[in-house]
Amino acid sequence: MTWLNAIVQGILTGGFYALFAVGLSILFGVMGVINLAHGDLAVIAAYVALAMIPVTHLPAVLAFVVVVPMFAVGGYILQRTLLQASLDRDPFTTLLVTFGLSVVIENVLLEVFTSNTQSLNIGSLLFDTLNLTPQIPVSYFSLVMLAVAVGVLGALQLFLSRTGTGRMIRAVADDREAAQLVGANYRHIFGIAAAIALATVSIAGIAYGILSGFTPTAGTANLLFAFEAVVIGGIGSLWGTLVGGIVLGIAQEIGAQINPAYQVLAGHLVFLAVLALRPRGLFGLRAAT
Amino acid sequence: MAPLLELNHVTKRFGQVVVARDVSFTIEDGAAVGIVGPNGAGKTTLFGVMSGDLRADSGQVRLAGRDVTRLDAAERTRLGIGRTYQVPRPFSGMTVFENLLVAAQQGGERRGAASHSLAASALERARLSERANLRAGQLGLLDRKRLELARALATRPRVLLLDEVAGGLTEPEVREVVGIVRETLAEGVAVVWIEHVVRALLASVERLMCLADGAVIGDGEPREVLSSAAVREVYLGSEAAFEAAS
Repeated sequence: MTWLNAIVQGILTGGFYALFAVGLSILFGVMGVINLAHGDLAVIAAYVALAMIPVTHLPAVLAFVVVVPMFAVGGYILQRTLLQASLDRDPFTTLLVTFGLSVVIENVLLEVFTSNTQSLNIGSLLFDTLNLTPQIPVSYFSLVMLAVAVGVLGALQLFLSRTGTGRMIRAVADDREAAQLVGANYRHIFGIAAAIALATVSIAGIAYGILSGFTPTAGTANLLFAFEAVVIGGIGSLWGTLVGGIVLGIAQEIGAQINPAYQVLAGHLVFLAVLALRPRGLFGLRAAT
Repeated sequence: MAPLLELNHVTKRFGQVVVARDVSFTIEDGAAVGIVGPNGAGKTTLFGVMSGDLRADSGQVRLAGRDVTRLDAAERTRLGIGRTYQVPRPFSGMTVFENLLVAAQQGGERRGAASHSLAASALERARLSERANLRAGQLGLLDRKRLELARALATRPRVLLLDEVAGGLTEPEVREVVGIVRETLAEGVAVVWIEHVVRALLASVERLMCLADGAVIGDGEPREVLSSAAVREVYLGSEAAFEAAS
């Protein structure tokens, strides 16, 4: 039963990883940007929520309503200024710029919020569980986050396949120059993609802040998990990212079941195995022929 | 009235190499113009300068009297310059119809229903109706060329720049492409067509320009251009021009 519990908890964690990873996947898929500041951006979202609560007196759960739109706008602006300027030079510059951004964010957060561990308090909501059996407690909050992850991915899938803007994003991701030739302003499209990426990562960041304590440097570890989820699932596949997150989550929980020290290691091993055996990930698109 | 498309003293260099030297010409509304010239003559570069893919080092590009020299490719497309690439570049992960829909929405018609019918008519014009729901990456060469043409048409161009759409096709396939181009011309769209398959040009255009070494060395009635001394010299040894001219 403890094994079954590990799998259930792994799936719940996986939803959270997917939420974290989807923005990373979009930024890479559409613009070819590997955003090394992705985890730090999530941590900013947690801190913004933290700073907002004493001012607005909103319950922490409602932080999403304020922070997510804020991040969407911020993502658009970040893309149209800093990231686009570096993309216009070359992709390697962009990698360095996001790395620099990561360092700057961590240090500014340290300066403002100190290195004390913080958390977002949602009271008893966090501890309420649905007991499938006495051995398998399912936290309502984790369940809701899994549902949110599935909902976000589903909405994105619909958006990309059914709307004009979504098709434009796919077209620009496919061939930027050809997209311009049919009249697309690719910079604007990049901005929209970045807005989506940052909106999703802010949800993940706040959820993270609620689920566990966070410090200014928490972003780096989370970036690694997000990377692993994307690579396991396969770059360019939204549902693959969810599956990747879940595979990673289950691997970690099972590892922890064997020995708590193996939790993170088990995830890394599965990641390594996928890289070795299926470098394009479980759902990765085959190379264009 | 101002001509539809106008190049004034356009010069373009890549490093030390001059690929267009002081090129000037005009394209009238609804005109059918062919461009020939040996490889490396600067034909595709000239298209790049017209479509906005490339920026001219000096000189001016005007569309219907408006200076578009500083506009990028997307803006020029929305103003009515459509272009195809020599090697088709479809959005390979998307279906054929989605490819056209993107073009119709961005370049032609923003409203949903109108862009659908614009995409549908481009689909039909390029004889791709049966392929509408295939992924563009799965298409063969002829269908890719058709899609390239259809996608440019879906942006509702006033002038269509075709870069070797008949290249690499069989004789019956070339005839089909010529048919599509003629239908487009019949609708009043101007066509500028770079092509090595001179037969295809002679069947479609009323004016022919010959480029060599970045300069226009012949411009006028197609057969006269092909038989002129300057053009013959450039093409010396090339069967295509002589065959076509005789």
